Amino acid sequence: MNSTRRAFLKGVSAGVLCISLSQLGFDLTEAKAYAKELKIKNCRAVTSVCPFCAVCCQVIAYERNGELIATEGDPDFPINEGSLCAKGASLWSMYTNKHRPTKPMYRAPYSDKWVEKDWDWTPDRIAHLVKEARDKDLILKNEKGQTVNRLESVFWMGTSHASNEECAAIHQAMKGLGVVSIDHQARV
Amino acid sequence: MTNHWIDIKNANCILIMGSNCAEHHPVSMKWVLRAKDNGAKLIHVDPKFSRTSARCDVHVPIRSGSDIAFLGGMINYILEKKLYQEEYVKNYTNASVVVGPDYDFVDGVFSGLNRETRTYDKKAWAFSKGNDGMLVVDDEWKNPRCVINLLRKHYSRYTLKNVSDVTGIPEKTIIEVYDDFCATGKPDKAGTIMYALGWTQHTNGVQIIRTSSIIQLLLGNIGVAGGGINALRGEPNVQGSTDHALLYDSLPGYLPMLRAQFQTLDAYLKGCTPNKELPNSVNWKSNNPKYMVSLLKGWFGDAATPENDFGYSWLPKLEPTGNTSYYSVIDRAYKDKMRGGFVFGVNPCQSFPNTHKVRACLDHLDWMVCGEVHNSETSDNWHRPGADPSKIKTEVFLLPSAHRIEKEGTISNSGRWLQWFDKAVEPAGEARDFGNMIVPLINKIRDLYRKENGVLPEPILNLYWPKEFKAEEWTKRINGQYWKDVTVGGTMHKRGEQVDKFADLAQDGSTSSLNWLYCGSYTEAGGNKSKNRDKSQTPAQAKLGLYPKWSWCWPVNRRVLYNRASVDTHGKPWNPNLPVIEWDGSKWKDGMDVIDGGGAPVADREKGRLPFIMCADGLGHLYGPGRADGPFPEHYEPVETPLKAHPFSKQLSSPVYLSYDSDLDKLAAPGDPKYPIVLTTYSMTEHWCGGGETRNTPNLLEAEPQLYVEMSEELAAIKGIKNGDGVIVESIRGKVEAIAMVTVRLKPFTIMGRTVHLIGMPFAFGWLTPKCGDSTNRLTTGVYDPNTTIQEDKACMVDIYKAEKLTEIA
Amino acid sequence: MPKSFLIDTTRCTACRGCQMACKDWHNLPAIETKQTGTHQNPPDLNPCNYKLVRFHEHKTADGRVMWNFFPDQCRHCIHPVCKDVADMAVPGAIIQDEATGAILCTEKSAQLSPEDAQAVIEACPYNIPRLDPVTKMLTKCDMCFDRVSNGLLPMCVKSCPTGTMLFGERSEILAEAKKRLAKIKKTFPKAFLADQRDVNVIFLLAEEKEHYYEYAAF
Repeated sequence: MNSTRRAFLKGVSAGVLCISLSQLGFDLTEAKAYAKELKIKNCRAVTSVCPFCAVCCQVIAYERNGELIATEGDPDFPINEGSLCAKGASLWSMYTNKHRPTKPMYRAPYSDKWVEKDWDWTPDRIAHLVKEARDKDLILKNEKGQTVNRLESVFWMGTSHASNEECAAIHQAMKGLGVVSIDHQARV
Repeated sequence: MTNHWIDIKNANCILIMGSNCAEHHPVSMKWVLRAKDNGAKLIHVDPKFSRTSARCDVHVPIRSGSDIAFLGGMINYILEKKLYQEEYVKNYTNASVVVGPDYDFVDGVFSGLNRETRTYDKKAWAFSKGNDGMLVVDDEWKNPRCVINLLRKHYSRYTLKNVSDVTGIPEKTIIEVYDDFCATGKPDKAGTIMYALGWTQHTNGVQIIRTSSIIQLLLGNIGVAGGGINALRGEPNVQGSTDHALLYDSLPGYLPMLRAQFQTLDAYLKGCTPNKELPNSVNWKSNNPKYMVSLLKGWFGDAATPENDFGYSWLPKLEPTGNTSYYSVIDRAYKDKMRGGFVFGVNPCQSFPNTHKVRACLDHLDWMVCGEVHNSETSDNWHRPGADPSKIKTEVFLLPSAHRIEKEGTISNSGRWLQWFDKAVEPAGEARDFGNMIVPLINKIRDLYRKENGVLPEPILNLYWPKEFKAEEWTKRINGQYWKDVTVGGTMHKRGEQVDKFADLAQDGSTSSLNWLYCGSYTEAGGNKSKNRDKSQTPAQAKLGLYPKWSWCWPVNRRVLYNRASVDTHGKPWNPNLPVIEWDGSKWKDGMDVIDGGGAPVADREKGRLPFIMCADGLGHLYGPGRADGPFPEHYEPVETPLKAHPFSKQLSSPVYLSYDSDLDKLAAPGDPKYPIVLTTYSMTEHWCGGGETRNTPNLLEAEPQLYVEMSEELAAIKGIKNGDGVIVESIRGKVEAIAMVTVRLKPFTIMGRTVHLIGMPFAFGWLTPKCGDSTNRLTTGVYDPNTTIQEDKACMVDIYKAEKLTEIA
Repeated sequence: MPKSFLIDTTRCTACRGCQMACKDWHNLPAIETKQTGTHQNPPDLNPCNYKLVRFHEHKTADGRVMWNFFPDQCRHCIHPVCKDVADMAVPGAIIQDEATGAILCTEKSAQLSPEDAQAVIEACPYNIPRLDPVTKMLTKCDMCFDRVSNGLLPMCVKSCPTGTMLFGERSEILAEAKKRLAKIKKTFPKAFLADQRDVNVIFLLAEEKEHYYEYAAF
């Protein structure tokens, strides 16, 4: 294909050059029409942080009327200086894709499907399950008779996707419940 | 990271090992390449030639699992050629400290080993102590039991030949790398090490990192600009979530875990507060009682009083050696000992090792609550290929969670910078952030206990807990607050005011702090410092790229940890061109980094302070008796290995690695001819860990659509596999389909005189994304480092052959 | 003086931030791809990918592994042959912006007959334009004309972490390109600036073009 292309170019380039020269000047109206308005015009620029690796590049999210219009690197942040990798550069399509569940989902025992639930029923049900497990299983004393107050039958896994504030709340909550099986992505 | 991202530019030599930073921390390469622009040498030691290797001066292929051999050889080389920075080693490390009489090392194991329990009694490794409780020191290095001499003896076996035989690296290349990196042992040169999961995910991962610490201490590279040991933390906030201890084995701020032997707060504080071991040691951990009481106060507020031990007795306590990590949960679930649990923002059915076991074990749960942006292979596990939902009892909840841009709060980057993020848009549909899941849930549980009572309601009902989750309120709580009106250093503080710094935290219950390390991040005078966006700096700071007014960093905005090791004993910078701190004769100069630990330089016998303030002796530990698997790192083979013997000792693999004994925890015998090929696993730029989020981002899936296996041309020829062919990779635990990527970027190794092939696979692909392949971790081993319970994902044994047809990939 | 890009492949890590940033900014949908034994995906430029990082690996005579990355895109030629060919059929189908030097496919390109459109595509020495089967327009990199016209960097340049891509006044870019070439020649004596006189997207290549992509240079 390369040789055909070259042959073709050899054939046309001289003539082409003439046309170019004879049409000196550019069609400015066309180019102006092409310059669509910048899509982030009149957007609120919000500073956030890329949700992937621990370089923690800062990003700017452009929002208008509650809609995410575009994302790009924060040029002021001294570490990434506006740049982003493939994942960081895909935040807009990541946030706006259609794969996300938007309501609490529930799969009943032995069922073969998910059903949508609301935010009243779901935490109510979970709260009952946790309390039931805790009331049945909390180990107040170990074999030596020492006070241990452990809830060994319930676990918490995750997450370094959480903010520091969420992590602090989760840790405190688990201590209150007596959960000792707490772990997250420091290992994986 | 001891240092921070920008500081990488200050290095004269960068050893990237156990990391593929161009692919996994792509923006870090901005700073790596700036170092290169300044003349730095870039070395990548890694089994595979990757996008990182493409930009380095040298790529050194190493057999996965032989890192300690390579690094131990460097220690031997440094000692033999006297390439260490002697003044640094003598004054700032424990090279001169005398080890007690019980330490020994015979046939590849240390003294104190109990082969039945597979544990060491670490008391056997203790230092000699004088009558005053202080360490015995031999500045002349004449005592054969002082650390430097034991170190020399230990690594004398790490000859170039032995290292080459085990790693597969030619001796000539080994010498070149050693020479390049050891050139940073000069006082005014700095070398940095960048590592990631390529080091941690081994049964001796902690000891690999220890080996690098020993090298960096010998070369005087800790505390200086362009130096350090830089763990490239993986997940977005894995620094913060570790600081806040979403872990079974520690409390926020790295305070020790609550254990049954500490029945009272007093016993805990006594047990967890070390005594000074040298007169000039800062022994920062002597402050632990203040931090612990402030933490209890943060958890229980006004309900925490001196009379009730600040609520200490309500809290759960582990047995002395109790391990309740992820993997114990999986094993106990498999044995029907777990009722249910929460899986938030993590995908065990993809990212954990030996996922056949993980997937099977979840079927044993009564209930599981997942908080996720997308439905995942974990939340949908009951639906997985080959499973019959009508036989699976688990009640599953999938709570749709908000993405980063849909919420606000802080994260901590790998360099410990605390960065605030704002909310740009509302969460999709009815999605919520994790805070707005956990806070209302706990309130519902509290209501139930109020209404119905129940077992031990006190720790739940007495939690200092809000009605709803507001991120910035927790930023303030993490910093800490006053709980009564007090006067500190002549200044009056009202109840409810923010505490200014961790030095002001108190043991009497007058202050709270959910994490002492973060105290100082949100103060009355400074406000929320994670929001600081001021790029101004002094010329000295600008030269370093310190940016002290951008965000805030723990501890006390110190940007380079152990920075008092960056100066000589009189406080003069080892490298006058890139000073981090400097003593002007009477005080530490302003306009530089925040000095680590205060006091005067070490030469001042009275006020001088040793640099490693978190250690009770104030020294950098060449000899580290605190680890579970030995005071010196030793080469052991991965649990699954192509070898039946290695030249360093008779002990093939770690004598104390952790494992479980279920029928699904199968392991191939060393040198098993059925599985002759080393498999290493990794991530890639375009997908994130198990791939849950990125496979659901169509553009990223377009760029990396399906599971592949990278293999050498030589192996492909032997196996009759062509580039692009469908293949099966098989370990003793299972089979995985992949597309062959035959490449010059992998090559066979010559190990102990014979050829060993190595292949590599990513683990991002899962069955929930159609046609892309399924979990690579169906192949990997469930064996773990005894210090951290991190799995050996980086090396297991497999075979590979051409597939007749593919069912997982289309 | 038009604007120019420098694409210094000796710094590229193939993080593909540019490839993704381009897609996101232009709202280009994803296409279905397959793993065929290479990291390069999609396999080629197409109406949904104006920017594509190409991967090429080989071993040098002395056994050294070279993995070359080539962030391919329209070169915004100083004398654009594509425009000349298009002008013969539908004037204004492809235009050249005076201020920036951007070569732009306009809506009029949909008026090109299939044969003329093919002729335009074949005319490009760098194998860049692609026909969008839905809109019938020619598609390719538009230099982020909306951004550049508003004083912003093209999205690919903005996202590049390693300094592989620069954008600015042609004279300044050329000067920087020559400076970098002089430096890199010490390590790679065969390094060169591809077609620097003819294009506004100047690639710095360390080896012969065959080790990148057949159309890397004319």
